Amino acid sequence: MTAPFLQVEGLSKRFGDHQAVADLSFTLARGAMLALLGPSGSGKTTTLRMLAGFEQLDAGRILVEGRDVTPLGPAARRFGMVFQHYALFPHLSVFENVAFGLSKDADRASRVAEVLRLVDLAGFESRSIGQLSGGQQQRVALARALAPEPRLLFLDEPLSNLDPSLRERTRAELRAALKQIGITTILVTHEQEEAFALGDLVAVLKDGRLQQLGTPTELYEHPQNQFVATFVGRASALPGTITAPGRVRVGDVDWPTAGSATGAVTTVVRPEDVVFTDSGLPGTVVERRYLGGRALFRVSTAAGTLEIEAPMASAELEAKVHVTARRSLSFNRDSV
Amino acid sequence: MKRPWGVLLALLLTWLVVYPIGLILIEAFRADGAWSLVNLREFAEHREEWGALWNTLWISFASVALAGVIGIPVAFVFERLDFPGRRMLGALVALPAVLPPLVGVLAFMFLYGESGFVARSVQVVLGLANAPWRLQGAGAILLVHAYSMYVYFYLFTRAGLARLDASMLEAAQSLGAGRWETLRRVTLPLLRPQIAAAALLVFMTSLGSFSAPYIFGGGFRVMTTQIVSTKLNGNDGLAMVQTAMLAIVALVGLWLLERGRGARNVAVLQKGAAPDAHAIRAPLARWGATGLGWAFALFLLLPHLTLLVVSLVPRGTWTTELIPPAWTLGNYAALLADPERLRPMVNSLWMAAVATVGVVLLTLGAGRMVVQRKARLGRAIEALTNVPWAVPGTVLAIAVATTFSVHAPWVGRVVLIGTLAILPLAYLIRNLPIAAGSILAGFRQLDPALDEAAASLGAGRARTMWRVTVPLLRPAILAGAALAFATALGDFVTSIVLYTYHTRPISIEILSVLRGYDVGQAAAYGVVLMLISAGAMLIGTRR
Repeated sequence: MTAPFLQVEGLSKRFGDHQAVADLSFTLARGAMLALLGPSGSGKTTTLRMLAGFEQLDAGRILVEGRDVTPLGPAARRFGMVFQHYALFPHLSVFENVAFGLSKDADRASRVAEVLRLVDLAGFESRSIGQLSGGQQQRVALARALAPEPRLLFLDEPLSNLDPSLRERTRAELRAALKQIGITTILVTHEQEEAFALGDLVAVLKDGRLQQLGTPTELYEHPQNQFVATFVGRASALPGTITAPGRVRVGDVDWPTAGSATGAVTTVVRPEDVVFTDSGLPGTVVERRYLGGRALFRVSTAAGTLEIEAPMASAELEAKVHVTARRSLSFNRDSV
Repeated sequence: MKRPWGVLLALLLTWLVVYPIGLILIEAFRADGAWSLVNLREFAEHREEWGALWNTLWISFASVALAGVIGIPVAFVFERLDFPGRRMLGALVALPAVLPPLVGVLAFMFLYGESGFVARSVQVVLGLANAPWRLQGAGAILLVHAYSMYVYFYLFTRAGLARLDASMLEAAQSLGAGRWETLRRVTLPLLRPQIAAAALLVFMTSLGSFSAPYIFGGGFRVMTTQIVSTKLNGNDGLAMVQTAMLAIVALVGLWLLERGRGARNVAVLQKGAAPDAHAIRAPLARWGATGLGWAFALFLLLPHLTLLVVSLVPRGTWTTELIPPAWTLGNYAALLADPERLRPMVNSLWMAAVATVGVVLLTLGAGRMVVQRKARLGRAIEALTNVPWAVPGTVLAIAVATTFSVHAPWVGRVVLIGTLAILPLAYLIRNLPIAAGSILAGFRQLDPALDEAAASLGAGRARTMWRVTVPLLRPAILAGAALAFATALGDFVTSIVLYTYHTRPISIEILSVLRGYDVGQAAAYGVVLMLISAGAMLIGTRR
């Protein structure tokens, strides 16, 4: 069996009393794009910096194609990196920035032209960095990282510095460009939408620990714990009790549930799985927000607040309603 | 409505800073009340004049190189490496800045001069009959310059390093650049504005340096000392040409170095945090670094200590011994008890205080104009406040002396020479750039909406100034005022041209007691000057 392209084993890092990353392991196939997703302070940036070689590991190993790169400095790893604020050298032109990592041989100019074409900036060679827009700077940073043909590419919050209107388009272009080259990529983001749009795989981190690694669909449909379930996509969490396999009781109402939990549980429901009924959990509509043709309702019940996605006309604000869930996922209380 | 004040201020500044320098340039081409090239010819025909000009130039460039070679690496060590005592040593390393130029020269004389502590020690250890060296000529001047001016490179480079974006360095590394390559291709180019600014400052300071060549020059002539001696010898015409030449050299140097600063504004793009200092872990290296740091700080402190020791020597008791044989506080007592000794201190204090109040008021007015009118008038006013910086102190002193030695009110000239007003006025003009640098920067940081907020709450212009603007500007005003006060207090070069017996400041008195071989008294003055300067700086830099 051939070793996976990237193997990360037991990565750990401590800053004083704070365990930034704890025993993190995963593997990645060649050409895959992995998004590290987590709230701020979850250790995703530290993980990226350890992989890139900017941060010393307290424990663990990093192997590329079966070879241990842990002792190597960042300059020797041949990994490319696009920094959050791009870190373009302001004293150099676009050409000089992109050519920075290339040796001074005859191919240099053609290689620079090639990667600039790839990011759609052909002809920008002599511009100074200050003359570029934010989106252009981001693409120069990408071109600069790609020019020396790195084995792995790291993107630190790649879209966070762009206007929201520019983000969606850039996201698609970025993914297309990276897939075209086929480079193995790891990116860090705190936005679920971004992680799902860019990553083939998403790793959810919390408090320095890996919560779950899988495809976006797996994470959404089969979250392994309550944190992943509520962090990935919208969900409401309510206390309940398992009454029979596949049934959970919330308040005075039973509804279907999945998961192997028993006894007292937290049950998680997505807004699209909750419906207004005539005889469900009683509650009051406290908020109604427009979402295109439908609306997101917040209903306050004795068991807690639920979010419901339903047609606009389903209920008025302040209306007394009954709700139930068609689908839910239950976790034991201690599994947070 | 507001315009007349701006125009008035611009005219006042023009009269104070541009007009005197212009007069020099004109007077250089006049003799006996008519246009003439006599003075120019006299300058051109004398070999030593060209020699002095050449010496001034090369000493200045050598000072820049030397100060840079010391200051830049020291800045890297203190900003990038972490070792015990780093914070305290980092502050001590800026100590040469609290020595007024003449006092620094004095301390060097007592320390490294032919009868200084170091020479005496060498003499005793080796059993020599005579002093092993004389502290004289270009080498001595360069030593003083390197000691006092490396601080500019140190402070500027450190400030630049502290603002450097760590991800720039990481980017270079991830692109395969090693440590030296990163330094050469990224760090140093990014520091270029700071290094160029320090180089400019050292160049201008060396060009105008007077105390060191005056005391240590011996037969080594530079323009500043030439000018003063020509002027004191009464050859006004030649002094004008010499002054004009030095002014021209200064302006050319300024222009060249300003170009070297680089047009691209690189600071704007740096957003991230500076790299953390690299902790030295190996115990030997750790304590080695600390030891070296203390040794360096001690070396920098030696002049200050020397001054303190010598100030305790009674007159005429210290001749050939290694250590002074007698000690006394009498020199300090004399400063207060003897009216003739106290006089220069009182003079210096009130003249510096008046000059400082004047310059602060003037720059506060300028600040309002510069902020409110971003257009031409504001820019012109700001440029005017910077002019005195572009010409050496000697040039300014001669220019002020020339302008205010003639009674011709219709062309803006009155006789102030020999009056109480001339020195405070000269200090004020000379310190304009210092005060303006700090106070104008403060004005720029003010949110213009605050003025509008105060106005919308019914505050008039005066009330807004006193209740909003001045309190917010307090740190900037304090810093500018403290620096201006300390500079005026320690001034030597302007004073030597303009003083009278009754207005003689401390620096002139130091020179005269030194001529009477009263080293203890001279050192006591030096210590007092040093302490007041240090105190002013401390107040000025407090946040």
